[in-house]
Amino acid sequence: MATLEELQARIQRLDDIKQIEQLQKIYGYYMDYAEWQKVVDLFSDKDPSVEEADRGVYKGKERIKKYFIDLLGGGPGKTPRPGWLSIMFQLQGVVTCDISATTAKARWYGMGMEAKPTTSLHEGELRQTWISGVYENEYVKEDGKWKIKKLHFNLTFRTPYEDGWLKVPVVGQTGPDSKILPDEPPTAYFPYPSGFHLPVSFKHPITGK
Amino acid sequence: MDLENLEKQVSLLEDIHEIECLQRIYAYYFDSHQYDKVVDLFSDNAISAEIESHGVFYGKEGIRRFYWDNIGKKGQTMPPWMIQLLIIQIGGVVDVDPDGVNAKARFQTWLPEVMPSAAGPRQVWIHGYYENEYVKEKGKWYFSKIYWNVTFYTTYETGWLRFPMLGYFPFPDYDAPPTNFHPYPSGYHVPYHFMHPVTGE
Repeated sequence: MATLEELQARIQRLDDIKQIEQLQKIYGYYMDYAEWQKVVDLFSDKDPSVEEADRGVYKGKERIKKYFIDLLGGGPGKTPRPGWLSIMFQLQGVVTCDISATTAKARWYGMGMEAKPTTSLHEGELRQTWISGVYENEYVKEDGKWKIKKLHFNLTFRTPYEDGWLKVPVVGQTGPDSKILPDEPPTAYFPYPSGFHLPVSFKHPITGK
Repeated sequence: MDLENLEKQVSLLEDIHEIECLQRIYAYYFDSHQYDKVVDLFSDNAISAEIESHGVFYGKEGIRRFYWDNIGKKGQTMPPWMIQLLIIQIGGVVDVDPDGVNAKARFQTWLPEVMPSAAGPRQVWIHGYYENEYVKEKGKWYFSKIYWNVTFYTTYETGWLRFPMLGYFPFPDYDAPPTNFHPYPSGYHVPYHFMHPVTGE
């Protein structure tokens, strides 16, 4: 029979996993409502990083703030234009977290529907799109709270509603921003139909490989 | 509460978590075309696998034939645009038997896909429900049975109302024909493995 200490450790692990799942889902809800400062505050202060689609890697808390508030948000205090829509489901989380761990990893599917301005001849025109991709994220527990250490969203497709992923796999992705430059170029931007699959962080549950 | 009962409660929560992860990991391997790893998620004493209208495949050997030979084409490389699958796992309801060894779960998947057809690659929306079974052996949870019942399989351009089902696709080497193949708009309901949580009926 297990000892009380062993059971406490096992419950703690389940609790940690639940908190990490909540953290990721809450990240999704804040992103959907363009609450950029709240998103920034979900990240660790110690060497965090963010990379989404083809935007490149932003490293460190100050650069992350720059990425969300200035690049995605258009500057402090700005609100999205009428019609702007972001709905990104946080799905199928597999959290890898050992007993007594203070770091964790997780893979998620991000899928949803958007209406956002995309670069075009009609600058600022809203496009309705289906978006899909994979997250491979890292988390760290600091002062009893789980925070995001590394967020990587790897885009599979972002297609106009009118066309679909086979006909037009990607719209509105035009590489890293020319003014708020990333610290590193994109690490794995190979959308459909490249056939690329972002490597999984978890070990096979049966074979351990 | 004594330690023994507390351990049972903790074990139950761990079991539910491991089974949810098993189901999600299955989908990640499936989508990234790692069908040998999918086969390894099944118990050596597994019962069967049945997906869509492909028919029933019995035992570990049949399950290997289904995933590795038929779906994975024995590891043969396919043009990347040919097959794009995202079998997103949603809405898991996991129930572990009191013995702690057997379990059942219902999930659903709603997915965007690209598949080859006679007319070239085709983009499709698919939906269906799982009713799966799991078994714990030597401390690990395995699949014992996968059963996925398709609701619709429609082209992106038409939608499920106008064109619910693209076809009937039994694999030639199945062990038994598809069971309960009744896509939309038949009104068929996939039976639940669980009782009503409030009334118990």
